[in-house]
Amino acid sequence: MTTDILVTPDPLDAAALIAALTGTHPDDGAMASFVGQVRAEPGLEALELEHYPGVTETALTELREQAISRWSLSQALIHHRVGRMAIGETIVVVAASAPHRRAALEAVSFLIDRLKTEAPFWKRVHTKDGSHWVAARDSDTSASQYWRDQIAQEDA
Amino acid sequence: MQVHIRYLAALRDRLGAGETTLDLPGEITDSEALIAHLTSADVAAAALAAPEIRLIRNDRIVTRPSPLDDGDRLAFCPPFTGG
Repeated sequence: MTTDILVTPDPLDAAALIAALTGTHPDDGAMASFVGQVRAEPGLEALELEHYPGVTETALTELREQAISRWSLSQALIHHRVGRMAIGETIVVVAASAPHRRAALEAVSFLIDRLKTEAPFWKRVHTKDGSHWVAARDSDTSASQYWRDQIAQEDA
Repeated sequence: MQVHIRYLAALRDRLGAGETTLDLPGEITDSEALIAHLTSADVAAAALAAPEIRLIRNDRIVTRPSPLDDGDRLAFCPPFTGG
C-alpha cells in the first residue's frame, strides 16, 4: 500500500511509485505520471526545498481530492521531496489512474500545475557563491490560472 | 490582541527576522491593517502588502484581507515555487 500524499526529505523512487500503482485496478486503462527533477543551470550546485509542515500536506490532499472528483480517478498520488537535492534528483512524483487516458493525463497536468502555485513550497538555489530564493514564474501562474478558470466555468 | 507572526522563505531574509509575537492596538482587526502597522515600525514590511503575498492563519491558507483574532498564528508567505 503506497501513501497517497507524502512530503519527505528522503530520495524519491519514481519507478517504484509508478510500478506500485500499475495494474492494481482492473477497470483502469490508463496510468499517467509526471516526474519533476532538478535541472542543471549555470552555477547551480544544489536545490533546496522548504515547506510548511502540515499546511503543505493539507494543500496537496485537497488538490488530490479535487482531481479524483473531477476526473473520476481510481488512484492519485503526490510525493514531494524537501530539503537539499542535487542535479538530476527527483523533486516530485505525480501519478493518476483512470479508465481512460484523457482523464489520467489531464488530472496529472492539473495536479502539477496547481501544486506549483497552491501548495506551500519554496525553492532555493545554492551556488558556489551563496544562495538565492527562486522567484515564481509567470508561466506557472498562467498554467495554474488555466485550471482555475476551467473549474470556474464548469461550476458556473 | 496578541498575534504570533512568522515570515517564510524569502520574506524571512528580507525582513531579517523569522518570527515575532506582537501586542496589537485595538483598532487592528484584519491582515491589511496589521501590514500597515508593521510597515510603520519597519518600512521593509511594506513588501507584505503586495497582492501575491499569501497568508496562512492558524494552519490554513486564507484569502486577504483576513480577519484576525487574539492568539492567531500567522505566516506571511512569498509566492509558492514547488514542483
